Amino acid sequence: MFENLLPPLNEHNLPYPDTMHPIVVHFVIAMVLFGFLCDVIGYFTKNYRLFEVSWWNMFFATISIFIAIIFGQVEAGLALAYDAVEPVLNLHTLVGWSLSGIIAAITGWRYVIRLKDPKRIPVAYLGLGLCLALLVCFQVYLGDQLVWVYGLHTSPVVEAVKEGSL
Amino acid sequence: MDSGLINPLDLGANGLPYSIPIHPNLVHLTIGLFIIGIAFDIVGVFFTLEKPVFKFLSIPATRSGFFDVGWYNMLASCIISFFTVAAGFYEIMLARPEADVKSAWGLGAAETMLWHGIGGVLLLALIVGMTVWRGFQRYIVRKEKALQVQWSYLLLGLFVMFLMYAHGTLGAHMAAKFGVHNTADNLLRMGLDPNTLLK
Repeated sequence: MFENLLPPLNEHNLPYPDTMHPIVVHFVIAMVLFGFLCDVIGYFTKNYRLFEVSWWNMFFATISIFIAIIFGQVEAGLALAYDAVEPVLNLHTLVGWSLSGIIAAITGWRYVIRLKDPKRIPVAYLGLGLCLALLVCFQVYLGDQLVWVYGLHTSPVVEAVKEGSL
Repeated sequence: MDSGLINPLDLGANGLPYSIPIHPNLVHLTIGLFIIGIAFDIVGVFFTLEKPVFKFLSIPATRSGFFDVGWYNMLASCIISFFTVAAGFYEIMLARPEADVKSAWGLGAAETMLWHGIGGVLLLALIVGMTVWRGFQRYIVRKEKALQVQWSYLLLGLFVMFLMYAHGTLGAHMAAKFGVHNTADNLLRMGLDPNTLLK
C-alpha cells in the first residue's frame, strides 16, 4: 500500500532528485575528524577552548549519524546493487550501524569528562579518538567505492541494471 | 582534454591515476565545517532561548563556547578549501564526461563543468573573505561584546549555503549523470561488464 505514497523513481532510482546520504555524511565526517584534530591540538597547546569545540562537534555528529543512517538505508534499499557490489555494501552498512553506537558511546564518555573538568582530557580518550577517526576514514573509503567504483545511483548503472545488461 | 597530452599519466578506467577521486572527499570537510560553523554562531546568537533546554538536559553550555565553535570551524573550512579547489581543478582537467547528455537542470557536461569550476573559485573567495571577517569580529571589533557576530555575517553565511547547494548539485550531476571519474560508468560506456571486472 505504501508504494503509492512515494513519488515515482527517477533515472537515479530515487523518489527525489539526487542522493541525500552523501550530503548528510558531510557533517558526520567533518565533525568527527575535526573534533579529533581539535582534541590533539588542544592537548598539546593547552588551549582548552578547543576541547569545547571538539565536544560540540561530537555532540552534533552523534545526532547527524542517525539521520545519515536513515537516508543510507533508504538509498541502499533502492540501490539496484549488482552482485559485485554486495560485499562492499554489506560491510558499509555494518560499519555504519556500528559507528552510530561507537560515536554515541564516545560522546557519552566525553560528556562525563567535560562535566568533571572541561579543561583536561585523558590520553586514553585521545587514543580512542584516533581509532574512531581511522574507522570513519575506512567507512568513507567504502562509501567512495560504492559511488565512484561501482557507480550506485548513477544514471548509466541504473539504466544498465534496468535494461538487464548488468 | 587532448588525450595525447595526458597519455603519460597512466590513467585507470575512471580517467584518474588513482581509484577514488580526492575532490569529493575534501568537499565533505569544506561544506560540513562551513555549515556547522555558521550554525553554531546562530546557536550562540540565540543562546537566551536555548538556555532552558540545555539546563533541562543537564548539559553545561556557554555562549562564548558556541562562538568558539563557530570561529574554529570556519577557520578549518577556509584552510581545507584551498586543497578542495586544487584537487577539483586537477580532476576536472582529467574529466572525460559523457557527451550528448543533458542534466536535470538542462545543462550539458561542458557547461556543468565550467560553472562548477567558476563557482568553486567564487566560493573559495567567499569562504576566505568570511573567515577574515569572522576573525576581525572575534579579535577586534566585537571583542568585548556578548554577541560576537553581526547579523549581516550570518545572513551572508546562509546565502553562501544556498550557493553551496546549487554548486554541489552541479557536482552531483557531474558524478551521477555524466559519469565523470566513475569506474563502473566508464566501463559500461566502453561496453565492458563491471560485474565481472570489479569482482
